[in-house]
Amino acid sequence: MANVTFPFPFPEHLITLLPEMIVAVLAMVLLLIDVFITKGNKITAYLAILTTLLAAVATWSLQSSEVLVAFYGFFVFDQFAVYSKMLIFIGTALGMILSLEYMKNEVNIGEYYVLMLFAMLGMMLMVSANNFIIMYLGLELMALCVYVLVAYQREVLRSNEAALKYFILGALSSGMLLYGITFLYGVTGSFNFAVMGEALQHTDSNSHAALMLGLVFLIAGLGFKVSMAPFHMWTPDAYEGAPTPVTAFMSVAPKVAGFAILMRIVADLLPAVQHEYEAILTILAVLTIVVGNLAAIAQRNIKRMLAYSTIGHVGFIMMGLIAGTADGFSGILIYLSIYLIMTMGVFAIIILMRREGIQGELLDDFAGLSRVRPGYALAMGLLMFSMAGIPFLGGFWAKYAVFMAAVEAGHLNLVLFALLFSAIGAFYYLRVVKYIYFDEERVAFNFVESKPLQATVVAAAIGVVLIGVYPEPLMALCKQALGGLI
Amino acid sequence: MDLHNVLDFPILSLSIFLPLAGALVIWLFVRGDNAVRWAALIVSIASFVVTLPLALSFDTSTSHMQFEEFHPWITTFNINYQLGVDGISMPFILLTSLLTIICIVSAWQCITSRVKEYMIAFLVLETTLIGVFAAMDAVLFYFFWEALLIPMYLIIGIWGGKNRVYATLKFFLYTLAGSVLMLVALLAMYFEAGKTFSMLAFMDYPFDFTWQIWIFIAFFIAFAVKVPMWPVHTWLPDAHTEAPTAGSVILAGILLKMGAYGFLRFSLPMLPDASQYFVPFMVAFSLIAIVYISLVALMQTDMKRLIAYSSIAHMGFVTLGTFMFTQAALEGAVIGMISHGFVAAALFLCVGVMYDRLHTREIGDYGGVVNVMPVFAAVFLFFCMANVALPGASAFVGEIMVLIGTFEANPVYMGMSTKWVAIAATTSVVLSACYTLWMYKRVVMGDLVKDSVKTMKDMTVREFGFFVPLMVLTLWMGLYPLPFLDFLHVSVAHLIEQATTSKLDAAAALVQALPVIDAAHH
Repeated sequence: MANVTFPFPFPEHLITLLPEMIVAVLAMVLLLIDVFITKGNKITAYLAILTTLLAAVATWSLQSSEVLVAFYGFFVFDQFAVYSKMLIFIGTALGMILSLEYMKNEVNIGEYYVLMLFAMLGMMLMVSANNFIIMYLGLELMALCVYVLVAYQREVLRSNEAALKYFILGALSSGMLLYGITFLYGVTGSFNFAVMGEALQHTDSNSHAALMLGLVFLIAGLGFKVSMAPFHMWTPDAYEGAPTPVTAFMSVAPKVAGFAILMRIVADLLPAVQHEYEAILTILAVLTIVVGNLAAIAQRNIKRMLAYSTIGHVGFIMMGLIAGTADGFSGILIYLSIYLIMTMGVFAIIILMRREGIQGELLDDFAGLSRVRPGYALAMGLLMFSMAGIPFLGGFWAKYAVFMAAVEAGHLNLVLFALLFSAIGAFYYLRVVKYIYFDEERVAFNFVESKPLQATVVAAAIGVVLIGVYPEPLMALCKQALGGLI
Repeated sequence: MDLHNVLDFPILSLSIFLPLAGALVIWLFVRGDNAVRWAALIVSIASFVVTLPLALSFDTSTSHMQFEEFHPWITTFNINYQLGVDGISMPFILLTSLLTIICIVSAWQCITSRVKEYMIAFLVLETTLIGVFAAMDAVLFYFFWEALLIPMYLIIGIWGGKNRVYATLKFFLYTLAGSVLMLVALLAMYFEAGKTFSMLAFMDYPFDFTWQIWIFIAFFIAFAVKVPMWPVHTWLPDAHTEAPTAGSVILAGILLKMGAYGFLRFSLPMLPDASQYFVPFMVAFSLIAIVYISLVALMQTDMKRLIAYSSIAHMGFVTLGTFMFTQAALEGAVIGMISHGFVAAALFLCVGVMYDRLHTREIGDYGGVVNVMPVFAAVFLFFCMANVALPGASAFVGEIMVLIGTFEANPVYMGMSTKWVAIAATTSVVLSACYTLWMYKRVVMGDLVKDSVKTMKDMTVREFGFFVPLMVLTLWMGLYPLPFLDFLHVSVAHLIEQATTSKLDAAAALVQALPVIDAAHH
């Protein structure tokens, strides 16, 4: 993004906002339609999925190798944005599919899907942001919608508790983010990433303190959104308390958006302060990896365990940021893509196992699954081994890609550390396999029968195997997706 | 790229993927336990037949990799699907496909639950094992090396004994923690050696001394866990004890060899100077394994545990021979590994035969077995003697060659006389006789006192059947080892040349050449 030439004539690249417009307009239309829909009808859900699909088609058809900029450099549409948005669309659509059965008895279910669409809109703005104002706008739109989604089961106490915690800490982190941005604005006099990056090259030592303060608060604020330790505290509670499809949604799509914006900031804004942000991120990555992989071992609830597992994955993904090279960024995209597939598959299985109330959430509830449903057991086993990063499954290449980039950038010790913790972390994934395959059935299983959910599970299992055996197409795609970023 | 493949046919790919394809077919199309058993047997026999041409068409006059295949796999990272075998790796592929048949036959009656999953797990395991020995690309090697943990984890965890969960987790985490260090080393080597993962390129690239030391340590941890060497051996007795019989057979027969194979394929040729540097450490660890672990084996009351410790002691001989850099010692190490593949596998099968009848592995629960199972007692005695390395058995050839090689190495490589090393290692001959024959005496000999033992029936034809090939091979290798050694001579000679040629001069030359090259560019 070095050569942003602007001002462009104002209306010329307005077309690049077509996907956002589609989502915004259709989401509002959906809100109107929802008034006439009776309870239990899934038509809003299908319309919302259709909207996501339309946005995806629009985004894909608009892509070009050029970097298109609209609104005087506020909004950027490049291949990086396209790929990140596609991941967000897939994550959102799968989140909606997972909700079909789980949320069907909730009141005002139409609003649920509309909230998801608006959250998606926020993320779309985030990944296309070339400017802190737009970024913040998108971030808040996303965050507010997700707070409500977490609290969607009004009568469930822990859902409310989770949402409240998430909201309070989220508001705090937004404050920190804004605080950091003001310092950076003070130093550079601009909100535009490229302009700021240019200005940072020429800062004198007088403004160094302000710059550092801004950088720290910026990373803290964004780190909260992607659950870096020590800003991860909300994650386990929010994951456990949220309705399971929302957990699936929020563990994927906002992470994609968060890392996309982090990559953009690192690439455009921070080359001048590479040493400083590297040091900060390295400390955070070490903490994140330790917290995620160790705390997950102690969990008995699989959603809580997956929350810590997410934190662990975030720590590994951060290695790509620390590398800060093209390979690092494409590694992050590879990791996020594979992580999306794995996470959605696992949550689909958890939802399929949902019995009355909250069963299917404790690790014990998986005991003996392989006897009853060998298909689900196989899928879950493959996904767990994949998350542990064992080869012939996709998760191996995800880790491989970011670690490779980090080694190339000279962070051999960090990689060694991360790999050792990934071996420690393998324990809790193996424990799930242990419940599934080695233990006898304890409670009678009672499965939700839902074709879309089962299809998700099958697709995820096949996906991790295919990517694991032949990752080249995905890797090439992710490399190509960096167009515009570097 | 010039591929050396006399058959003009992807024989290695076929050997790797035929079991996997068979497993897929069984998973999708075969129903019923018996049908699954037969299908698995057919697949495993077919896989064995497919690997035979590797030996029959093998060119013993070249150290070049043979039956090579090369296809780009992940071009983004220059990872290739590169296969090839030499005289060192080829025998292990045949050993794998042979032992897989025996594993499947041995499970015929004693595995009654989840037969299908069991057979699939073993066929997948065969794929990954052959892949390890055939891979000539470091990432491909790592890919198979790690992937085999999945079927092995399930085999021990599902069909294992009482304490199986602990054992299988320990096995998995130990080996995983060891191998991640290898991955880091490989990634570092990739950038150092000019963005390639070709193992042949790694062998040629002159790594400087500091590099070699660090990479050697990383490799050492990965391989030492697999071998296993003292003091990282503690997973093995647990895994062996809890694994089902066939799992122990594969563990002892093949998995342990992967570690030693790693030393032969990675450490020695790629890091010759570090290998020389670490000889005292390797010798010390090997001797501890030989002497101390033999003493530990002596005190075991569980037969499988005893054989597990005996395996560690025998692998001590292998690592000792590996780091002596003489033709005899290295050939002895490889022969020792193959022989141990026959003998340890057979001993575990013997224990399995008894376990199927009494469901206990405690030595104290037996006694006087010879009275009710005379044929079995003879077979068991045969393999016990082979384990002791009695002349005429294959283990003798391996051990005597390692000892001769160690004596030979005397003036050449070390300040301290290796004569004493050889003498210390020779104690193992006595010690292995002690623990093996003492166990045999307590289990098989003596009067028939226990009622439970009185009910034992002698071996069935099926059970006898899977011992026959192992007996034939043990005797053949013991009495006439020349055909086996023929495969090894040239490859081992080439390996010794690689391992004794210092890379430091070339590394220094490279460092000096860099400014010149840079200057030429400007």
